[in-house]
Amino acid sequence: MTVSTAPEQAPDQPERPDRPGAPARPPLARRLLRDPVVVSGALAVLLWVVAALYSPEFASWGQVVTLLTVASFLGVIAIGQTLVIIAGGEGIDLSVGATATLSAIVASRFMDGSNEGFVVAVLLALGACCVVGVVNAVGVLVFRVPPLVMTLGMIAVVTGFIRLYTGGRPEGSAAPLLRTLVTGDTVAGIPGVLWLWLGLAVLVVWLLRRTSFGWRLYAVGGNPTTAYLSGVNTTAVRFSAYVLSSLFAGVGGMLLLGYAQNVYTSLGTDYMLNSVAAAVIGGTALVGGVGGYLGTVIGAILLTVLDSLLRIMQIGGGEWGDAPRQIIYGVVLIIVLTAYGRQKRLRQ
Amino acid sequence: MDTPPFLRMSGVRKRYGGVTALAGADFEAEAGTVHAVLGPNGSGKSTLLKVLTGVVAPDAGEVLLEGRRLRPRGPRDTLAAGVSAVYQELSLIEEFSVLDNLVLGVEPTRFGLRDTRAARARALPWLERFAPAFGGRVPADERAADLDPGERQIVEICKALVREPRVLVLDEATASLRRAQVDVLFEVVGELRERGVLILFITHRLAEILALCDRATVMRNGADVATVTVGETPERELVELMSGGTPRTPETDTGTTGTAAAGAGSAAPAGARTDASRVRPRAAAAAPGGEPAAAEPLLEVRDLSGDRVDGVSFQVRPGEVLGLGGLQGQGQSELMAILFGARRRSGGTVLLNGRPVHPRSPKQAVRAGFAYVPGNRGAQGLALGRPILENFALPSVGRRAGLGVALSRRREIAAARAVAERIGTRYGSLDDPVSTLSGGNQQKIVVGKWFPTEPVVVLMDDPAKGIDLRAKAEMFAVVAELAAAGAAVVLGASDDRELVEVCDRVLVLFEGRVVDEVSGDRLTEDTLIASSMHIAGRDTGTGHPEATSALPEPDRAPAPAAGTGTGGPAGAPGAADGPAPEPAPSDPGGRA
Repeated sequence: MTVSTAPEQAPDQPERPDRPGAPARPPLARRLLRDPVVVSGALAVLLWVVAALYSPEFASWGQVVTLLTVASFLGVIAIGQTLVIIAGGEGIDLSVGATATLSAIVASRFMDGSNEGFVVAVLLALGACCVVGVVNAVGVLVFRVPPLVMTLGMIAVVTGFIRLYTGGRPEGSAAPLLRTLVTGDTVAGIPGVLWLWLGLAVLVVWLLRRTSFGWRLYAVGGNPTTAYLSGVNTTAVRFSAYVLSSLFAGVGGMLLLGYAQNVYTSLGTDYMLNSVAAAVIGGTALVGGVGGYLGTVIGAILLTVLDSLLRIMQIGGGEWGDAPRQIIYGVVLIIVLTAYGRQKRLRQ
Repeated sequence: MDTPPFLRMSGVRKRYGGVTALAGADFEAEAGTVHAVLGPNGSGKSTLLKVLTGVVAPDAGEVLLEGRRLRPRGPRDTLAAGVSAVYQELSLIEEFSVLDNLVLGVEPTRFGLRDTRAARARALPWLERFAPAFGGRVPADERAADLDPGERQIVEICKALVREPRVLVLDEATASLRRAQVDVLFEVVGELRERGVLILFITHRLAEILALCDRATVMRNGADVATVTVGETPERELVELMSGGTPRTPETDTGTTGTAAAGAGSAAPAGARTDASRVRPRAAAAAPGGEPAAAEPLLEVRDLSGDRVDGVSFQVRPGEVLGLGGLQGQGQSELMAILFGARRRSGGTVLLNGRPVHPRSPKQAVRAGFAYVPGNRGAQGLALGRPILENFALPSVGRRAGLGVALSRRREIAAARAVAERIGTRYGSLDDPVSTLSGGNQQKIVVGKWFPTEPVVVLMDDPAKGIDLRAKAEMFAVVAELAAAGAAVVLGASDDRELVEVCDRVLVLFEGRVVDEVSGDRLTEDTLIASSMHIAGRDTGTGHPEATSALPEPDRAPAPAAGTGTGGPAGAPGAADGPAPEPAPSDPGGRA
């Protein structure tokens, strides 16, 4: 990613009055090279090709579907993360993992392996998530607790509540309907969860790009003062972002439940940082006001491919367990994110 | 003049983008004097002293201290050379004790460790000297955050003194002080003068200059106009020097007529723009819409008060452009922010079309028909990283959405295009970030984004700050157009010339109050400057000998520093207008 020679238009350069389109735009190729969605997409394909060369079986249709299915849980949970990060103000929601677990646990208890309580279970689970989101939002926006601290604290609260609620042993299991929805009943050879993810992705991209909420969200993240002085209720916008974040985490948790059938208390733990990583890899900047969900989708796929690649290369294992894989995974993350950081600086 | 002067600055030039802050200024001052630097807003006095202190690197020119060339790479170097400055914006670390703040950067050490006792010995005498200003106490161990703004300003002064300067720069250092504190400061300044220290003093209180200063250098348009001995120069003459009232230099004239002429015709893009040709809008105040001059007021403000605004009343008729003049930071920005609901109103009524309105947030104000162009376009007016399209759409995006949510890109683009064309904005693509535009075009978006909301009252805080002449003229054409459409425009400007050109009437504010209203033939730069200095017409009861008596508002508690208290984005409007007359070196990409 060598994009150091950008012909930056000096901001105060005198205008050339005769030209209708005053500032020059960089050429298309360069813009593509700088687009995080394109870059991370290319990187994901590259990793996938490497994996396929290493183990041809990796390129099989079934493997691809499995890979995308695994990515979809991360992708759905990271929806809300993306919204919260875009909303700015150091916005971040670390409690998505715990919220996903909570949702799965509540849903599984009320479903209890049958279809009868399905709707009630879903509504209750989402209701519980909604409460978490509202508490997060109130803490951040009313009591001005930094989002990092607030949502980190919420992890402990939610986890504690889960232990109280389950006594350490979660009960119940997914409704058959949910199971079918997630893994079974494939349309065109693609499991339901991927169709669901596609639908949610279209919805979220539409929400961000073509609704007044989306535009205001970007404006609030880009410059809260400007948004406020333009008559935007910045508090309401950020509030919605936090609540939506918990809701989508809850949806993700239920999908996980449908996939795994049973729940355990650390079901969503891994998604806490991975959802942030997926969003940031996809070009959503932690400063807010920049990014989009398409990038997060790619980011989620990239992370899943990377994880699978390290698994099939059988890095780790034996006496070291997961440790070497984790280290490599972390190092790759840091390298990718550093590359973005550098780009950003060059662009200014 | 055989010996070289103690301090000499010669041929100092500094440009910020398209704006010249200093155009070859010369300056000399002798040790053991109190030397005032005065001039209207934007005359370059603050920049000149920032060049001296090394905060600003000049484009050309040199600084000689005791005949030796000073080439600072930053304030550290000038501090070492003995130049200390006190600025209006506070530089204290709130969580540190007063004592720690005083010795910050010059902490005495012993074997590499901080030597608290030596620090105390060094800083305490100054605090004790200023004890009367702290109400008799010595707040060495108190947290800086716990002091009131005036006390903090005193600490700031002590901080400069602890560095034992040979040149002490006081830039509007008295603005937030109470009378008793000013008295102590003046005593100390007198003592410093005895010890051979050169004190450079910037203030907007002419009375203080007459009371304290030996010499005064008057700046105008980035150059020095004259240096006079204060005791021998009548007040009137000082004001005339500042305004350039008597003999107009050709330099001044080109500036004025250039802008006016550009505003008149050449710059106005073709279109339904006939009103833009009114060179002096006030002459045509009655013209737009054929409204008689005595139309019902559209906006009426009665006794409005709030942070830094003190009982302001005025009326604006439809189609009228009302200017807010006076020195910078006298409550103009705050007044507009209060009207717009971005700052708290503590008293008074606002009538819009005869009905009382009380917006508690910008959102409510927008709904009531207000539009607000904030004073700092980068920090307040634009989301610089977001596309031009979104910035245009922001205030009105909900109005075009289907069912209140769904947007049509085509409709948004059409709306943005229409406005951009109307105000002559030049851009590459509507999807480019606003930061790719020039300052003038950015500012047009800040104004233009309000057009779709069809505002009836437009509040503009220095809309032409830091943009080049051509863009400035276009901006004022937009102002004229808004007024012609029947809106009431309230316009603050740091440049008196702009007010004279654009406004029908100008209110002069001083410390949050309206001290004068200027219109008709009185509306000239001279009158505005004289009024700003608070010595105009009816106020001149106080002659020069006992000038101190004219110090305004003896013991009124000073307004809290801008930006504090209100919290959140609402605090921003005040924080944006520092004392510096320079336009921000408009580099939109620099931050973010």
